[in-house]
Amino acid sequence: MADPQLSVRDLTVRFPTTRGTVQAVNGVSFELEQGQMLGIVGESGSGKSVTAKTLMNLLPRTAEIEGSVMFDGQDVRQAAADGRDHFWGVEMTMVFQDPMTSLNPVKKCGEQIAETIRYHLGQSKSEALAMAEDLLGQVGIPEPGKRVSQYPHELSGGLRQRVVIAMALACQPKLLIADEPTTAVDVTVQRHILNLLDSLREERGMSMILITHDLGVARGRCDDVAVMYAGRIVERSATETLFGDSRHPYTDALLRSIPRIDQPSHTRLDPIPGRPPELINPPVQCAYAPRCRYAQPDCLKSIPEAQGVEGMHEFACHHPANTDQGREALAANVAAGRNASGMPVAGYAGTGGF
Amino acid sequence: MAGSGHAPLRDDPNVLLTIQDLEVEFPVGKGAVVHAVSGISFDVFEGETLGIVGESGCGKSTVAKSIIRLNDIKAGSVDYQGHKLADLEGEALRRIRPDLQMIFQDPISSLNPRRKIRDVISEGLAVWGDDRGSWPQDRIEELMTAVGIDPKYGDRRPHQFSGGQCQRIGIARALALDPKMMICDEPVSALDVSVQAQVLNLLEDMKERYGLTLLFISHDLSVVKNVSDRIIVMYLGKACEIGNADELYEHPRHPYTRALLASIPEPAPTVDPSDGDIEGELPSPITPPAGCRFNTRCGHASDICFTEEPQMQRVPGEDHYFACHHPVEVSVGV
Repeated sequence: MADPQLSVRDLTVRFPTTRGTVQAVNGVSFELEQGQMLGIVGESGSGKSVTAKTLMNLLPRTAEIEGSVMFDGQDVRQAAADGRDHFWGVEMTMVFQDPMTSLNPVKKCGEQIAETIRYHLGQSKSEALAMAEDLLGQVGIPEPGKRVSQYPHELSGGLRQRVVIAMALACQPKLLIADEPTTAVDVTVQRHILNLLDSLREERGMSMILITHDLGVARGRCDDVAVMYAGRIVERSATETLFGDSRHPYTDALLRSIPRIDQPSHTRLDPIPGRPPELINPPVQCAYAPRCRYAQPDCLKSIPEAQGVEGMHEFACHHPANTDQGREALAANVAAGRNASGMPVAGYAGTGGF
Repeated sequence: MAGSGHAPLRDDPNVLLTIQDLEVEFPVGKGAVVHAVSGISFDVFEGETLGIVGESGCGKSTVAKSIIRLNDIKAGSVDYQGHKLADLEGEALRRIRPDLQMIFQDPISSLNPRRKIRDVISEGLAVWGDDRGSWPQDRIEELMTAVGIDPKYGDRRPHQFSGGQCQRIGIARALALDPKMMICDEPVSALDVSVQAQVLNLLEDMKERYGLTLLFISHDLSVVKNVSDRIIVMYLGKACEIGNADELYEHPRHPYTRALLASIPEPAPTVDPSDGDIEGELPSPITPPAGCRFNTRCGHASDICFTEEPQMQRVPGEDHYFACHHPVEVSVGV
């Protein structure tokens, strides 16, 4: 098998602050094959955006980065050190969450796209503007000829996000990172944007990383999904496996905590108690243990290593859910009424998929 | 879509709040007005949770704000237990205010950052308490415990709490005056999923414990279904469909409701996913389309939809009303 297009190994990112060092990303590894869509899901502070910004070389200079990032046979961190400005924006691009703040409010949409084209590809102004108009058409904006000379505030949220996508596509990237691309738009618009990204990926054979907190979005659109918690990937597998046969108790608990459209109203939700841990000087233990129904004394003594089938279904847990070992741990905690770190645990009806 | 009419109003002694033909407009200069809410009628039973769902700009927050007089209304009435809220002034209005409390979307910015949370929660009591502005000392402790905040943190300030905790504090503040009705405007949109479930469960518990009536506004269809007894679907200032939560999601009649249900990433099993492909952009609320307001984007629209506004009609035998000339037939028959 050929090398994957993108390979991230043991990526660690720390931010020194006055209160101590924040361990934002902690030993993250994953691969992405060409043309595939990888979903990264997790809650605020889980490190998903920091991971993306590391790939895009967008972190502040104070960030301490370790580990390797290889893309298409090139060392991305070396490219950063060499000051290769035409790497990001050309080979690898990114779409951000809020289209209003990622566009310049006092510059016409067409000019903003043309600016990218002129900088990276060295086209003339008129050529670049013609390309911009063409790109707007490709991302499904009606009347592109009129839109090129409009300002961002004259467009709706959905159209603005399409302009941002057009800008990201300007230099024919091989990898597009979309960080919560649809969080700021309504569901009907979200559907259009995700359909657009899907078809662009297919047409161009582009790879994508989709960062989202919405498990439904990840399930519907991604080939593989990685779940992040407190700066680590706790589980990674093919989408179907993750949603049908999850191993990490955090994945399992997340799937249970969201209201589902096919449940009757007033169905009692199963929330995850407590809140995510502090990332400054975290104790040497499984970060999820204090909130985990399965946690045993060994979870408080060491950080679990990734196990499972490498590249297929990996998870970092001492007592994985949906296994005999996990069921034993859960039964013991239910019997004791609490987990190893003292969180109350009540029984719940069986385990199940999404 | 999106019609008018009084069909959904119920003649029943349990009705706590009745909204009739509510219209709200905002001037935007040069004589133009935004038609934010254009003739909406519904009622809420005591102890019921009514969900309002719709996309940005459909007027759902404006409806909520009209109830507690955060914006003026142009026409129509808001009737709360025999009081016409829009006509109340001065002391009479002040007397009603404790009954109607609101929780906002952004939990952190809705708390004063410079005040201790004990003072934030007790401010309403300080105003209302008894004549001397005093109240039982353990009242704040009780409220904080009820919403899951340890009373020993009463002297902390909002920035020392997480978003989920701030929303709990917002709920405690709303509960302090023993309201009859709580209006929740996107209360969980800013929260992470694991915390969202905690807050939704808390709202259900508080409703039970304090006998509340809830008006719950959200753009998230799954969240609205989870908490609501009845649901209103809004589009461009009008109601498209009103009904019992389970029935409405099970047998959606209005093409727009179906489009919404088909657009969520895990589409509801009751609709065809291709129903989600609605075309075009939301029309301007300054010049809304004549006839049915959904006619510019609806696959079923015919001539009548451009000339005549559909009126609310009832699905026979069901607590379910819709405003559409071409409702989607379902197997149980209309």
